[in-house]
Amino acid sequence: MKRLLLAGAILLAGMGVAKAKTIHILMETVPDTRYIQQLLPEFKKETGIDVDIEAISYIDMHSKLVPQLIAPQGSYDVIVVDFYWVGEFTKAGWLMPLDDLVKRDNVDLGRYVPKLLDLVGHVDGVTYMLPFYNYSMAVIYRKDLIADPANQAAFKEKYGMELRVPQTWDEYKKQVDFFTRDTNGDGKKDFFGTVIQGQRGDCISMQWANYLYANGGEYHDKNWNPEMDSPQAVQAMKDYRTHMLNNSPPGSESFCFDEAFNVMAQGKAYSFVTFNILYAGLDDPKSSQVVGKCGITPNPGGGLNGGWGWAIPKSSPDKDAAWKFIKWVESYPIAKKRALLGGAPTQTKIFTDPDVVAKRPYYPTLQKILEGVKDFPVFTYTTEFVEETGRELNLAATGQKEIGQAMKDANEAFRKLAIKDGKLKE
Amino acid sequence: MAMMATGTVSPKAHRRSIAAQDRLFGFLISAPGLAALLLIILFPIFFTIFTSFHDYTLIHPNFETYTGLEKYSEALGEGYFRTSIWTTIRFVIASVVIEFMIGFTVALMLNTVQRFKTIYYFILLMPLLINPVVVGLTWRMLLHSELGIVNYVIGLVGIPGVNWLGDPNIAFWTVVLVDIWHQVSFMAILLLAGLSALPREPYEAARMDGASAWRCLIHITLPLMRPVITVALLLRMIFAIKTFDIVFIMTKGGPGTATDLISYYIYRSAFFGLDIAKASAMSVLLLFAVLVLTVYLYRYMKSMT
Repeated sequence: MKRLLLAGAILLAGMGVAKAKTIHILMETVPDTRYIQQLLPEFKKETGIDVDIEAISYIDMHSKLVPQLIAPQGSYDVIVVDFYWVGEFTKAGWLMPLDDLVKRDNVDLGRYVPKLLDLVGHVDGVTYMLPFYNYSMAVIYRKDLIADPANQAAFKEKYGMELRVPQTWDEYKKQVDFFTRDTNGDGKKDFFGTVIQGQRGDCISMQWANYLYANGGEYHDKNWNPEMDSPQAVQAMKDYRTHMLNNSPPGSESFCFDEAFNVMAQGKAYSFVTFNILYAGLDDPKSSQVVGKCGITPNPGGGLNGGWGWAIPKSSPDKDAAWKFIKWVESYPIAKKRALLGGAPTQTKIFTDPDVVAKRPYYPTLQKILEGVKDFPVFTYTTEFVEETGRELNLAATGQKEIGQAMKDANEAFRKLAIKDGKLKE
Repeated sequence: MAMMATGTVSPKAHRRSIAAQDRLFGFLISAPGLAALLLIILFPIFFTIFTSFHDYTLIHPNFETYTGLEKYSEALGEGYFRTSIWTTIRFVIASVVIEFMIGFTVALMLNTVQRFKTIYYFILLMPLLINPVVVGLTWRMLLHSELGIVNYVIGLVGIPGVNWLGDPNIAFWTVVLVDIWHQVSFMAILLLAGLSALPREPYEAARMDGASAWRCLIHITLPLMRPVITVALLLRMIFAIKTFDIVFIMTKGGPGTATDLISYYIYRSAFFGLDIAKASAMSVLLLFAVLVLTVYLYRYMKSMT
């Protein structure tokens, strides 16, 4: 009898599960994911669909996604795609084109910041993704130190120019130099002009890109001829190495953005060239000792563009429900709620929405930052490109390889990958 | 059973048939286990070997193009792959040798301890129970050059802060040290198990003859322990060759290529380079190296006893 009851209970539970529709999404453990999790009950109320978000750390995402994407039917209905993977995922044919659905439901793509739609939306004229959030890079600086009259006077005396929010790269470099100090007189620097996130691979590649743009360099020309050994690129590496050696805490060679962020949050540095999404953390008393003291401004010469997009994989078990979710999460009211919680917007209107600006006064600046950002080389082998060139950048930054040689090797690695991808003819 | 019941079978043949039945029975109960092993170990190995001979990438996951040994020569032709082989060899030797020295000393000491044995065991086992990823993350925080506890503590006694993970020369040894911290108890426990199983008589006899503790160690303990030591070294070496997590979490193979171990290199070829075939070829090379090492050590051990 007991067994019968148990079997009945299991059967009933099974039927219950079968009845309520659930969609599965793989996401990264970042604040923007948390904001969506908070809003999910609204989606359930509207559509009756449950959403199961599996949030994991970035490093595990790619290796977890790929097997699901190759399979005829994977376990994820919706996925989020980092701009790194866009070339690879579309070339492999894993993503479903969204143009028909966009047209059918009159989804206005014009609402997105064009640079983000180009990065994590369209590929060769086909819409594969809707931009989810942006993590473009900018300069975070200590506005209290700039406002200090003593600093202003000393800076003017030393460099013959005003101390202000940096407008040019040269000005920024002078400020970095100016603020690197030994504050307690023990002969050791203990306050730093900048924080370098120089760990090999992703961390150094992302930050160095800003140095490249600031020096007027590019990764490649219009025909994908690599330009990573140009005089501008070599100068960018020289600047980077100088900052790492002289103006950033020891150990920066192995920092990623989290360690570097901590240095900034502990009030031990003047500035930090990094992802705009980290800025909110510096204003949070739980994670920062410099609350209210920081400002954010575009990287002189342009920062690195970055973002994530929503996509439906071809292996998605329930494409209809998936599209329903994407439409909901990107609708204006929900996108606005996410921004109010602290999310990094992708839709133009949200940056200047009065409610949003009232709560997040720096959002119009974020929009300005986005207007000036530049794209990383996005192609099938972006991930490998980051790995290969990131290694050379780190070798040069740590003095294990001569700068000119490292940039030549990085350039050569890039050329090989561009040829492998058919972007460049041999 | 039927034969037994008829009683016409000779006792010898009877025994044989029982033996045959035992064999059959043994085979039957181990069959599911063997099948599972076949499925989860042999199949992936052969699949990897098969893949390494084809142009199988994540972009074009198919076996249409046979490439022969091309992927192998491509792998060995990469300068940085060869660097990572060399780094791995250095890492294995450094960590296993030091772990053995510490582990053996600790095991000898613990073997004589009578009181609080459980407490020592508990302390010893703790690092081993921690997930390697957690070990990596924790040490990464402790060793932060500016905000980490380690540099703070050594600063209190006047030693200048060390650039644990940023200096190419130091980072390698930092990774070795963290690996030792994490794995040394494995060595200690294995050796301790061996020590506690040694017979008492030879020691008593040696004591009677007036042998010192040192001579007992050299002439009795070490020779008797040889099989256990070989197994301990072998196991740790095989594990050390495969080290991945610590490097992945702590250094990403950097600074430069200072801590770029083979496993992490293979992982990158597969998931960043998308070239599953080349990564398979590298894995087969690694497997081959481990096999040769195992066979050699096994033979060596047999020849000694």
